[in-house]
Amino acid sequence: MPQPLDEDQVPAHTANLQNGELIFWAGGCASCHAAPGAENDDLLRLSGGVELATPFGVFRSPNISPDRESGIGDWSTLDFINAMVKGLSPDLQHYYPAFPYPYYQNINYIDLIDLKAYLDTLPPSTNQVADHDLSFPYSFRRGVGLWKWRYLAGNSSQADVAATAQLERGRYLVTGPGHCGACHTPRDAYGGELNNRFLAGAESFEVPEGEGAGSIPNITPHSDGIGDWSESDIAYSLESGFDPDFDSFGGSMVEVQENMARLPADDRAAIAIYLKSIPAHASEKD
Amino acid sequence: MKKTILVTLATVAIGATTFVTFAQDEFPFQNQIEARQAFMNVYRFNLGMLGAMAKGDMPYDAAQATDAANNLLAAAKMSNGAMWPAGSDMSAAGLADLTAAKPEIWSDMSDVGEKHGALTTALEAMAAAAGDGLGALRSNMGAVGDGCKGCHEPFRASND
Repeated sequence: MPQPLDEDQVPAHTANLQNGELIFWAGGCASCHAAPGAENDDLLRLSGGVELATPFGVFRSPNISPDRESGIGDWSTLDFINAMVKGLSPDLQHYYPAFPYPYYQNINYIDLIDLKAYLDTLPPSTNQVADHDLSFPYSFRRGVGLWKWRYLAGNSSQADVAATAQLERGRYLVTGPGHCGACHTPRDAYGGELNNRFLAGAESFEVPEGEGAGSIPNITPHSDGIGDWSESDIAYSLESGFDPDFDSFGGSMVEVQENMARLPADDRAAIAIYLKSIPAHASEKD
Repeated sequence: MKKTILVTLATVAIGATTFVTFAQDEFPFQNQIEARQAFMNVYRFNLGMLGAMAKGDMPYDAAQATDAANNLLAAAKMSNGAMWPAGSDMSAAGLADLTAAKPEIWSDMSDVGEKHGALTTALEAMAAAAGDGLGALRSNMGAVGDGCKGCHEPFRASND
């Protein structure tokens, strides 16, 4: 059961809004917290309401705009950090890990301070979002404490090569704000990630099978994955949405790619370097 | 533009009511599914040339770029509704692994016609610009990518 951080664990730091914006796009916040189907400037109004249909039931993303009644405008920076790294609300309730804090826990506190300051500049929304619709026993929020005890260890995956600054940046972006493993790593029956198959691809959890679901690709350096993509192929695909054969990204990856396209080119290059360095895994055969 | 959308919708509607089946089909709509996948490969082949120039993997050549862009535009203007008959989506019996086309393409609220129109517009711009130098080619790649993603995001499942 994680304990919340307290005020003296938050470093003194004057927020950098430009960095906060970078982390905002790298973390894909708008993809869940902006209204469903939002585009362009509407992506900055974080009114919530996106539904995620999973084997545990339907999750609905909350309003995290700076509105004081309907959003998180009354949160302190400490409250925000506790949410992102501990999965705890200001009144110490557990968040469901559909909110990917198991990845966001890898984001450093300076970046989180910057991100909170950036979020505070965004337009407020008074939208009220309905509760999640979860099946028993997942509707029992306190049970998440048990889940955290089992699954919320430190989460990063070690690359197989010696660290350079760019590799470290790539690791940080992928295992922290990018939360790529939240889709690309397979999970067990309780929704915990199988870290020994990091980024090796998974069944899509979003819709019941056979009704337009698909599978999520293997992005390890195996030939079943992206082993024959060069670093520049990977970086270009995140910039343009085209794979090396000029097939276009589709489905949920389009939003991710459009977020990645807003990052500086160096960050996409760093992600590419990291993805080429992680352990290669063959895909699971059905 | 509106005419293009109406023509596209009309051809999809005609495709929905005209079945072409062959006694030797191994699976339902094999003919149409294989044709449209081959059709996508034609897009890919031509786009690949433009993309290779844009990425710097291939030297820029104005004539070749213009040809490729014109090919893409010609493909987009083909009347190909017959390749997309209703019932040939991935939720149909036996088709889950054979096509990635989602049933949403054929729903009442489907905007596939408008999406196709947006792609055509982007390809018209690319065809006009591809021969004007690498900078012009590169600056049009984004809209073309958006045109492809416009359908691929809502209408194609990820299938590895």
